[in-house]
Amino acid sequence: MTAIEDVHTDPGVDEDGHVPGEGDMWFFVVFESLVFTSYFCVYLYYRAQHEHAFLKAQSALNLPLGIVETILLLTSSWAIARCVQEVRAARYRSAQRLAMVTAGLGVAFLGCKLAEWVRLIGEGHTFTSSEFMQHFFFLTGMHAIHLLIGFVVLGVILYQLADPRRRSHQTIETCSTYWHTVDLFWVLIFALLYIVR
Amino acid sequence: MSIGASLRTDPKRELWFVWYSTVAFYSLYSVVFFVLTRTQPPGRPWLTPEQTVGWFADRHWGLLVGFALIFVLGGFSATSIALITYSIRRMSVSRAYAYSYLILYAIAAIPGFLFICVAMTVGAMRPERDPTLMHWLYDFGFLSFSGTMGVFLVGSLVWMAAILLDKNGVFPRWFGYLNLCNALTEVVIAPSWIFQRGVLAWNGVIAWWIDVAVFGMYTVVFIYLLRSLIQRDDLGTGPVPALPPAAAPRAHPLAKVLAG
Repeated sequence: MTAIEDVHTDPGVDEDGHVPGEGDMWFFVVFESLVFTSYFCVYLYYRAQHEHAFLKAQSALNLPLGIVETILLLTSSWAIARCVQEVRAARYRSAQRLAMVTAGLGVAFLGCKLAEWVRLIGEGHTFTSSEFMQHFFFLTGMHAIHLLIGFVVLGVILYQLADPRRRSHQTIETCSTYWHTVDLFWVLIFALLYIVR
Repeated sequence: MSIGASLRTDPKRELWFVWYSTVAFYSLYSVVFFVLTRTQPPGRPWLTPEQTVGWFADRHWGLLVGFALIFVLGGFSATSIALITYSIRRMSVSRAYAYSYLILYAIAAIPGFLFICVAMTVGAMRPERDPTLMHWLYDFGFLSFSGTMGVFLVGSLVWMAAILLDKNGVFPRWFGYLNLCNALTEVVIAPSWIFQRGVLAWNGVIAWWIDVAVFGMYTVVFIYLLRSLIQRDDLGTGPVPALPPAAAPRAHPLAKVLAG
């Protein structure tokens, strides 16, 4: 196989050289990544200013639960990627199941996140209790809103898959791109809030 | 063709009038809020009553003259809402989207735009007023302006949904997604009701500076795209045609990047 053929068989790039899904969705990915990057920069700046207070407040977080949440979302990313592969192979029943699995993992993540918020608030760590918690609730809350929109996006995938007349590969790939983006934001939030000490 | 003849015969003259009015309104808005009244960037939320008296005194004539201009010309804010409503009517989607947008923005403009003008003018009118009352007007002005931005959120989502569902190609789809980005930043301002200091207060780095950067880009982009729509519009009901290459405006650098 030649190098050119290798490029054409790359699963991440179409034959005409375009990225998966609508090119327009990648505008959202880039723009929203810049917005989140600015939030992260603000967090890191204030963390550097008040390192001791941030470390103290950070110790209230449950790292194992954060790891479980990360595994849930990464698994959901794997499931939606498999869903796209099944759609490309015209195995729509299997794709439907994988989209449902993705939604289930998203719900499980959200359940863990809610449980974590309730535990923290119960222990007195609220939105206003410290600067770290202000950033924690803000970043995880913004991510949760993106995730809720992700459920609407998964609904679009299931709606597309339900009827042979509607099955647009491009729309399904576009929706999965959104889901991967939300997962990527979580990985960065997890690294910044839970791991960086 | 003379300008007079062009004005008499150009079927798009009303659309161009509304578009230029929109540009004029946003220019006036920026000058009044950032230069004349200096109410943007917003004042510090942690000022004491006595300090707010000083804040009003420092801007006395700016507030009175600047907001007098808004009370005379602020009605031009209706032009941008009308033009956006027209753009949604030009789409293949239900008229319900256009009317939802129109009603939402017409209502949201009262707390999100006019309340601050009234509160700050009242404060500037009688500088000898009780500092506690001046403090109340200061809080009311900034909270009504910044804290009610969430009302605009649904409007952005309505516009986004209309663009993504449209089959007439009125706007590029990436602009639909930009509406989502803008709507999400409207959420960020909500905590300003809780915080008097920090990044989420009404003058905070996240709640104000990053939001304004996003909103500024969004505004420039939608004014540019509305101009492009008027240029392409055939005043029909089907797909909006592309401009012929010779008449096409210079491609936006962002469009070139997205076209790959």
